[in-house]
Amino acid sequence: MSRPLLWLLAQAAAFLLALWAAPRAEGLWRWLFPGIARPVWESQGWFTLLGEHLMLSLGAAAIAGAIGLGAGILATRPGGQRLRPLLDAVFSLAQAIPPVAVIALALPLLGFGAAPTLLALVLYASLPVMRGAVAGLDAVPPGVLDAARGTGMGRAGILARVELPLALPVIQAGLRVAVVLSIATTAVGAVAGAQCLGTPIVTGLANGNMAWVAQGAVFTAWLALLADRALRLVLARSTG
Amino acid sequence: MIRFEGVSRRYGDRAVVDRVTLEVPTGSICVLLGESGSGKSTLMRMVNRLVEPSAGRVLVSGRDVAQAEPEALRRGIGYVIQSVGLFPHWRVAENIATVPRLLGWAPERAAARVDELLALVGLEPERFRARFPHELSGGQAQRVGLARALAADPPLLLMDEPFSALDPGTRRDLQAELRRIHASTGKTILFVTHDVEEALALADHLAVLEEGRLAAHGRPARVLEDGSDRSVRRLFGEESLAFHRLGTLPAARLARDEDAEDGLPVLPAAASLKQALMLMLEQGADRLAVPAEAGFPGGTLHWADLVRAA
Repeated sequence: MSRPLLWLLAQAAAFLLALWAAPRAEGLWRWLFPGIARPVWESQGWFTLLGEHLMLSLGAAAIAGAIGLGAGILATRPGGQRLRPLLDAVFSLAQAIPPVAVIALALPLLGFGAAPTLLALVLYASLPVMRGAVAGLDAVPPGVLDAARGTGMGRAGILARVELPLALPVIQAGLRVAVVLSIATTAVGAVAGAQCLGTPIVTGLANGNMAWVAQGAVFTAWLALLADRALRLVLARSTG
Repeated sequence: MIRFEGVSRRYGDRAVVDRVTLEVPTGSICVLLGESGSGKSTLMRMVNRLVEPSAGRVLVSGRDVAQAEPEALRRGIGYVIQSVGLFPHWRVAENIATVPRLLGWAPERAAARVDELLALVGLEPERFRARFPHELSGGQAQRVGLARALAADPPLLLMDEPFSALDPGTRRDLQAELRRIHASTGKTILFVTHDVEEALALADHLAVLEEGRLAAHGRPARVLEDGSDRSVRRLFGEESLAFHRLGTLPAARLARDEDAEDGLPVLPAAASLKQALMLMLEQGADRLAVPAEAGFPGGTLHWADLVRAA
């Protein structure tokens, strides 16, 4: 096993250990937040929140991946070139709206819970995937495409066997950004009542309990950093 | 083998190829020679329908290519380009087997064919079949490109400036290799270049294009002989036209039927008058011995005859 992988596993173990220890470390919280009567978060288990958080953010990243990749492929087809500025504008606009605003706007239509959060995350995370797909597909050397056509490969064959494999490293980089953005942003879903690592933050803000806010914030950021490291490592292996 | 019948390609008002009628005989190397923008590549790319003509038609083996399904047509025509275009994520063997795989050959048959082709283009199969394209030199990559084009044994090869990006030495090696492969396989080859020397080194049949029009065509000796055409003179260079013409004429034909004296420099009978001239200049000799060969009784080549021929 390589050293980066061992290091990553150690960090993941530390994260899980911290989640396990959080409700048991009453002394630590009291010492850090002396003015707060109930500094320990006990409403839900941290592992439940982690699971919900990951389901939401990875689900959103998967949907954003499919949409972004589809749009990227469309924008690089000979017939889709004219759509490219439009797609770019739409996806940029979708990302420009803050997720919290999307959630607020979607609440009347989708109600409370996971649905508006999922929508906000998908809108937020599709742009990097599309940008990555377009950049990767654009970078396939024209000589290679000419040779592929000249040897009699069909369009679908060229896309599946030549273009996507060659564009893969750049597409994966876009996906990694989408996953990390999504994990980091999922916490916002707590304002719509979605269960996630943001729930202690929102509840803490509502109750003036800075201990809960701090715990939620630390674990959300930690998870995003961990996911970024893990994906970098996995992707470097698969393409190296 | 290939017939262009009144073929044009227009982009807007501009005719990139302008009413070209040309026949490429089966089994010959036909070189399309012209400067960039002369329409030579566009003309070639109409053969495998990478470009569709705006007018006229292209026949391959008597059949109009417009009637053929493009992918099937292309699998039956070898294609080699300047940028080589090897698939960077596939090994040499997979690259060469591209068309056989598309045609659904059994893996063992394709693998055997790959080794056969690597040997044909002068690369040791054991050393090269498992390499990736980035592990090859420019010359080796283009040898693999040539092997890929030959993989399914197509009767026709299209080659678009295949050697233009290579070093001069490598380029000459590959030209000689191509002549050798052509002699042993009898393929019809349509070869695009802007390089006059390369055209004369390869062509059985030469077609000179200028601004989309066919300026001259025929055997190289003929094209240069009635070099009255302005574009031919310009392309070959007014002052070196006679020199290039010597390159198209066989030396044996001018040799006098007399036994050569001892000590004269020796010229092989298959050499051109240009090679004869170079040898005379190099050796400071005004006569060369041309020894007997199959179909030629042997003789002596004189400076005076050579000068008159040019």
